[in-house]
Amino acid sequence: MVLMARDLAIDLGTANTLVYMKGRGIVLNEPSVIALNRQTGEVLATGREAWQMIGRTPGYIVAVRPLRGGAITDFEITERMIRLLLQRVGVSRFTRPKVVICVPSAITEVERRAVTDAARRAGAADANLIEQPMAAAIGADLPIDEPVGNMVIDIGGGTSETAVISLGGIVALEAVRVGSFDIDAAIQNYVRREHGIAIGERTAEEIKVAIGSADPTPDENQAEVRGRDLMTGLPKTVVLTPEEVRFAIEDVVSSMVASVIRCLSKAPPELSQDFLVRGMYLVGGGGLLRGLAERIERETQVPVRRSNVPLEAVVLGAGHVIEHYEALKGMFMGARR
Amino acid sequence: MAAVLIGVLIVAVLAGGVLMWTRSRRRPDGVDSFRRQIDALSADSRRPTIDRMNPTEPPSDDEDGTHGT
Ligand SMILES: Nc1ncnc2c1ncn2[C@@H]1O[C@H](COP(=O)(O)OP(=O)(O)OP(=O)(O)O)[C@@H](O)[C@H]1O
Ligand SMILES: [Mg+2]
Repeated sequence: MVLMARDLAIDLGTANTLVYMKGRGIVLNEPSVIALNRQTGEVLATGREAWQMIGRTPGYIVAVRPLRGGAITDFEITERMIRLLLQRVGVSRFTRPKVVICVPSAITEVERRAVTDAARRAGAADANLIEQPMAAAIGADLPIDEPVGNMVIDIGGGTSETAVISLGGIVALEAVRVGSFDIDAAIQNYVRREHGIAIGERTAEEIKVAIGSADPTPDENQAEVRGRDLMTGLPKTVVLTPEEVRFAIEDVVSSMVASVIRCLSKAPPELSQDFLVRGMYLVGGGGLLRGLAERIERETQVPVRRSNVPLEAVVLGAGHVIEHYEALKGMFMGARR
Repeated sequence: MAAVLIGVLIVAVLAGGVLMWTRSRRRPDGVDSFRRQIDALSADSRRPTIDRMNPTEPPSDDEDGTHGT
């Protein structure tokens, strides 16, 4: 039995959950999915195991992403997920660690309280929240301790958040509940509409990663897509071109870019000029979409750099706050004036 | 009568002293905590955390919680 409390940082993402343990590093990294028995409400699987069940479950099992859409759609399931998560990294009634949780900055006051209460009930001695883009900026190693404009763009599964940070504080923030999942959904809709076949969300995600792009890129390939013909009900294969996918996802991509532009326009002019020299940093899994950095760069005329830890930046940043809890506790959501 | 007056005077002086002391303490406190926060966010301070991308040891190995600290 683990008797000593090791403080934790959790990136409770809509797509992926990561846990950082103080003094140790990232100890858990898996999809934010939970599989339940529809009748009894019993938890059957979490993480990668539950992810594999998405779209492949018999009627009595349901595999869900409780945080999908950047909002807490089901408080009870979210609480159970947090509890299981803490259990898996060794938290029990006897070890009460401090926990810092990263949440989308757009979540409501009620949702915030739900998350911290859930963590406390699950065994945390204290639970505090920090905005994702702030954590991302810390983890992506941007010089946020200096009085310069640091801009970070975090495109996740369910949210896109852009923030301007200077001297350890958020100067401007723009968050929309549009993310990479919406690209998957757009691909699903397009294939259904134009090719008459139904595909699952995991297939749509595979298409996005394989041939999706936000701007034309060199060496583009087509992809064979297998699904169910809506007319005949039989399995069918169609070929999708990169241009088609680009067209299918255009609305989502342009709303992501628009939110970056809105954040740029909120920044004070002194910091604004810093971006031209320092660029903006793109993090998050959704930011890996081919051509997205180029597209943002083209539309804003500001250089875009990719972080070398796109998926881990947020949890590393929150982990840093856990490592320096006393010095950095002023950065929690609600602590700043 | 004089004793009461002296008593009141002493209390007043003490209260004034305490007030001034807390005032002089509070100001550097804001400066201190801001300094501490900025220092903790420096690149040097963040280096060890970011280097912990990959965990140093799996938590399940740590059955008795005595390793690593
Ligand atoms: N190479 C890639 N190209 C395009 N999209 C990708 C790629 N790799 C991952 N993604 C997408 O990134 C998303 C996950 O990103 P991330 O882990 O940053 O999200 P999250 O932090 O869980 O979500 P949020 O921050 O919105 O809560 C998924 O939708 C996934 O499909
Ligand atoms: Mg995220």
